[in-house]
Amino acid sequence: MTDAASKELAGQVEISCQACGSTLLLDSNLRTTVCPYCASPSVIERPPSANRPAPSFVVGFVVDHDRAAEAVRNWISSTSIFARSDFKQTAPERTRGVYLPAYLYGAVADSSYFAKIGENYTEIETYTTTDSKGNTVTRTRTVTRTEYRSLGGEHSTYIVDVVVTASAGVTNEALEAIEPFDLRALRRYEPSFISGWLAEDPSRSKDDCFQLSHDESVAKVEQMLHDFMPGDSHSGLRFETNLSQEVIDLVLLPVWSFAVRYAEDRPPVQILMNGQTGRVGGKVPISAIKVTIAVLIGLTVVGGFVLAVASSH
Amino acid sequence: MTTAIQNCERCESPLETGDLRCSICGQVSPADRPLAHKLTVQILRCKGCGAATSYDIEHQAPSCTFCDSVVEVETVDDPMEQSKGYLPFTTGQDEARKAMRDWLSSLGWFRPSDLTTSAQLEQLKPLWWVGWVFDAESHVSWAADSNAGSRRSAWAPHSGQVNMTFDDILVSASRGLSESEVSAIGPGCDLRSILDQPDGAQNATVEQFDLQRSQARQQIIAAIQKIAARRVEQNEIPGSHFRKTQVSIVLRKLMTRRISLPAWVLAYRYKGRLYRMVISGQNTSYVTGTAPYSIVKIILVAICVVAAFLVVFALVVGR
Repeated sequence: MTDAASKELAGQVEISCQACGSTLLLDSNLRTTVCPYCASPSVIERPPSANRPAPSFVVGFVVDHDRAAEAVRNWISSTSIFARSDFKQTAPERTRGVYLPAYLYGAVADSSYFAKIGENYTEIETYTTTDSKGNTVTRTRTVTRTEYRSLGGEHSTYIVDVVVTASAGVTNEALEAIEPFDLRALRRYEPSFISGWLAEDPSRSKDDCFQLSHDESVAKVEQMLHDFMPGDSHSGLRFETNLSQEVIDLVLLPVWSFAVRYAEDRPPVQILMNGQTGRVGGKVPISAIKVTIAVLIGLTVVGGFVLAVASSH
Repeated sequence: MTTAIQNCERCESPLETGDLRCSICGQVSPADRPLAHKLTVQILRCKGCGAATSYDIEHQAPSCTFCDSVVEVETVDDPMEQSKGYLPFTTGQDEARKAMRDWLSSLGWFRPSDLTTSAQLEQLKPLWWVGWVFDAESHVSWAADSNAGSRRSAWAPHSGQVNMTFDDILVSASRGLSESEVSAIGPGCDLRSILDQPDGAQNATVEQFDLQRSQARQQIIAAIQKIAARRVEQNEIPGSHFRKTQVSIVLRKLMTRRISLPAWVLAYRYKGRLYRMVISGQNTSYVTGTAPYSIVKIILVAICVVAAFLVVFALVVGR
């Protein structure tokens, strides 16, 4: 490991290539670069800070570039019929494989909850009806009714494996669309893992990421509580959750990022692919014209039907 | 090997070699890599040829493109489970044979009268079966329906929280013995007498754990859930009938030992059919197995019962 003669500029950093000595300028949120003169891959290590901790783990790429491009092309052409035609016909460009910074969050969640628990019971009720001969008769039948009992209590659990984005370039929704990552394949972070690939440092503040983690954890607790409730049914679940003994670790996740420029006057659409599992996600631009036509056709059919019914009367 | 290196800082469960995170609470295990103190730029070079290395998809690891050597990286290690100790056989073949006779003659009147005398021992084999023994502390939240406090419905909901400790709980990992066989003979073992080597029997079948550490942990957690639910029903929930018992467990200090336990497996023949018995290798009063019923005796009893019923019926009608 060698110290670099380096200067931190505004948003950029100046480093010198350890192989050929050329001076390189790169974005300060990147952890890696490849020297344009001698093609040597460098890994940049910075002292950890609160908003930029050292990575603990990395998940390696499994899907290679060709397979990723192929899968994204297929994904684009199989999007909904309301997607813009020019979008569906565009080939993705500006592909890059990037190690995306994300936080792996865990905590102990203590919740107090309150809900109405429905307990079923059966009753025999009598009713009157007319039989096949037209006589009024009294019969009995068994009906299921529900009695609601209130239940309050405490619930404690570990929350593990909450993954939230730490990159300002990727929203948490975009990351959720390509989750899950198989965390059994976690590796301890080594600089050699990201050498030759793009890797970002966190560009969101840790407070932001804590907030995202808390939201995801509370959503997990809610799901757990729904499964936890006894009775035949339940309603009106209210709960308050306190998260303690939190752990948050930086993990670098493999992501293929594609920019799809489908129209001159529109910003390119970001499509991500999970570099480990091959799952693709992205926001598909919807064609306003196609939707309008579909609505008009729908209205015409309904209108025609109404007219036909009206005229037959 | 799968030895504990240190305890998790958060839940105090032992971390084992190859664990990057605690399997219970998810806390990262400490790394030995020093942190950077100032901005550094490095090119990672192959130790063989000196060329720059980069991560290679084909190898799933950083590798050198020139000499094709792969850089070693620390990964999650998920080895096959290995037994760490053996409980010795403290009973011999003769005691096992005697236990079989005693058990057959203790079964009761509905068995054939000549069962003890006619049963032919076909096979008597010592077996070391595998299991986990764990200790843990836990904070258990529970919710369930029970009959206590019920109104129109037969059920009413209840909830609560309780601290529970687990000491020397045995969970079977055996493929050779069934769950009910294990629960019958398991309590006959003295879990403090663990030796490093098999001892006390020759030509024994030594069962292996045939699952990986991660699967083993899942099985143990599932067993803890089941035991906790049963304990909650026995001690916590009011009432006598329960349904939909739910537990949520925050575990601490989960220590698991992997051990092999001794058992005698017997096969005996009665009137041409084979029956199986399992006897604890440390205490022959823990026995389980299958045995034939006497059809003749059962039919006889059935006839007697019907006859008695008819007599009573005749008396009642005759009045």
